[in-house]
Amino acid sequence: MSGMSEKRAHQTLDQSSMINLNSSWTSYKGAWSTTIFIIISLKLLFSIIPGINPEASWTLTNVVFNMGHFIMFHWVQGIPFENNQGAYDGLTLWEQIDGGVQFTATRKFFTAVPILLFLLSTHYTHYDMVTFAINFSVLVVVLVAKLPAMHKVRVFGINKMDEDMD
Amino acid sequence: MVNTESSYTVDDNVRFINSTVNSVYELVALIPGSDIILNYLKESYQHDPFRVLLELFLVFFAIKYMLAKRYKPNDNSVKLTNKEIDELVEEWQPEPLVPSLTAYDRMNLEKTPVIIGPQSAKPKVAGHTKPLMNLATTNYINLVASEQIKDKAIKTLRNYGVGSCGPPGFYGTIDVHMDLEKDIAKFLGVDEAIIYAQGFSTISSVIPAFSKRGDLLVVDDGVNFAVQKGVQISRSNVRYFKHNDMEDLERVLEEIRVDDLVHKKRLTRRFIVTEGLFANHGDIAPLPKIIDLKFKYKYRLILDESQSIGVVGKRGAGLTDLYNVNAAEIDMIVGSMATTLCASGGFCAGSHEIVDHQRLSGQAYCFSASIPAMLAVSASEALKVIQEQPNLLTELQERVVSIRQTLKHKALDPLVEFSSPDIDSPAPFFHIRVKPTFLKLHLKDDETAVPREDEERLLQDVVDECAYQGVLITRAKYVAEQEKICPRPSIRIHATTGLTKKETEKAAGVVKAAITKVLGKWRR
Repeated sequence: MSGMSEKRAHQTLDQSSMINLNSSWTSYKGAWSTTIFIIISLKLLFSIIPGINPEASWTLTNVVFNMGHFIMFHWVQGIPFENNQGAYDGLTLWEQIDGGVQFTATRKFFTAVPILLFLLSTHYTHYDMVTFAINFSVLVVVLVAKLPAMHKVRVFGINKMDEDMD
Repeated sequence: MVNTESSYTVDDNVRFINSTVNSVYELVALIPGSDIILNYLKESYQHDPFRVLLELFLVFFAIKYMLAKRYKPNDNSVKLTNKEIDELVEEWQPEPLVPSLTAYDRMNLEKTPVIIGPQSAKPKVAGHTKPLMNLATTNYINLVASEQIKDKAIKTLRNYGVGSCGPPGFYGTIDVHMDLEKDIAKFLGVDEAIIYAQGFSTISSVIPAFSKRGDLLVVDDGVNFAVQKGVQISRSNVRYFKHNDMEDLERVLEEIRVDDLVHKKRLTRRFIVTEGLFANHGDIAPLPKIIDLKFKYKYRLILDESQSIGVVGKRGAGLTDLYNVNAAEIDMIVGSMATTLCASGGFCAGSHEIVDHQRLSGQAYCFSASIPAMLAVSASEALKVIQEQPNLLTELQERVVSIRQTLKHKALDPLVEFSSPDIDSPAPFFHIRVKPTFLKLHLKDDETAVPREDEERLLQDVVDECAYQGVLITRAKYVAEQEKICPRPSIRIHATTGLTKKETEKAAGVVKAAITKVLGKWRR
């Protein structure tokens, strides 16, 4: 169908017409250090809750960070400022990063962070089966969403916009 | 028998793995200090080998991810080898920067009339000793010659200079622009108006300002080029309905409604886009019916009144005036000030919200210098003239009817047809096209249709003959490759009050004689 190929051509044209300011910041070193800073702040914040044990504070850190990360990178779609007729409609931030190219430095960084956070937390705590399961499943959800095989895939149509995606 | 044998083999395997693991463990245990590490691992993972496995898996996953090579999913671009690239470079012949003209292009270029001196109802044209009677401009009520406007424009020029030197949102707006916006809003009877610097880019900016990807446009398939470009730039989903065919419009709207119900589609912004007085067809949209449908199916209406503003309707306020509808029922009235008003630029009129949105989202408004102050004042003054002298419009109507009457002659009947068959139509211009039956008589043996170029050349001969006899008319010109449905070749004739009744009749007579003469002599 020529309409479909024209649509795709227009989308490529519009997406490449200018830098995607919604996703370009993710490759700044400042954004990376901010991510680490946020994790440290979260951990500190949860550690100073009176009477909390390390398992609970690490679990909270893990869950809050991964949930925030998931919403920001894998749930919200499109871009908040409109200047290219919606060329990124239906694409999550993760799908917009580096124009969809996989295994770039930015993607590697944001994949490594939750894994390292999890490994650190298991190292410093004595998780029982339940807390381990919570931490691990939160991590898995985030990691699965990052897999190249999940690029532009909406499992069971969850969070799917009805625009046809490229 | 078989079962026991297989269980033996399983047992064997288990035994083998066990012994291997044991021996590896013993080997590791032999390394000095290794027991500390092993104890530590067992400790920290609560003596749970399953967790150790999961974490090892995570580490491997991370390492694998870090080492993976970058690639783009669903990349259909062709990968060329170096050899292929070299070959392509070798083969490449650069196209000339300026492509050579075809014979047809050359004809178009040579036949373009050059007006010497100012534009007027009787301009001096290069190659003609006497001034020609101008039936080729949108100077319908001869505002070009208005001394009142000229004086005002000169005064403004002395006060403000020529250019406005900036986009409207960035010190490009001065009092005269705001006055003009108010004048337009008042003239049309809407809340507010916004002015753009170019007539063409007004509608092609208004449509994409509101309609984005995934939104829906229902468009008349006879709209002019500027509207088509706006529709294209908006990247919205587009459905066309047959030109001015309300049954077809209703069919399309109904189809969309049913489709949305069946597929449970998200509610998107949706617009009906049409033109008031069609530049390419010379006919008028049935506005009341469109408004009915718009309310029935819950759409917004974008109406391009570039051709009709200033001439159609009792007050000249366009289609809303003609049909006596409340202008507020049309969401966006877009018009040009470069046509009847003889200034420049365009406007979009509507509610406060509609106009306000464009001040930051109308690309042509934000990224283009505002119109020169003197042109804004000219437009304001032109609106004043139209309101003060409603007789101009009745005069114009008389002129166009008289031209139509002259040309609707029996002698022309087998030769040409008119875009709007209604003699009393309020449209101040119309198209004349060669009748298909006439063209059929002049087919060559191996042809099924006369080529477009031949038809254009025939009409150009009519135009030339008219110019020779003292009347300036023009063919309608299109970017044929880019038009959605390119209209058939035509001559576009505009009435003007700049010519007296007698002159108009004479000019129409000249056109009539030229058509009879040129078409009668046509040999291919």
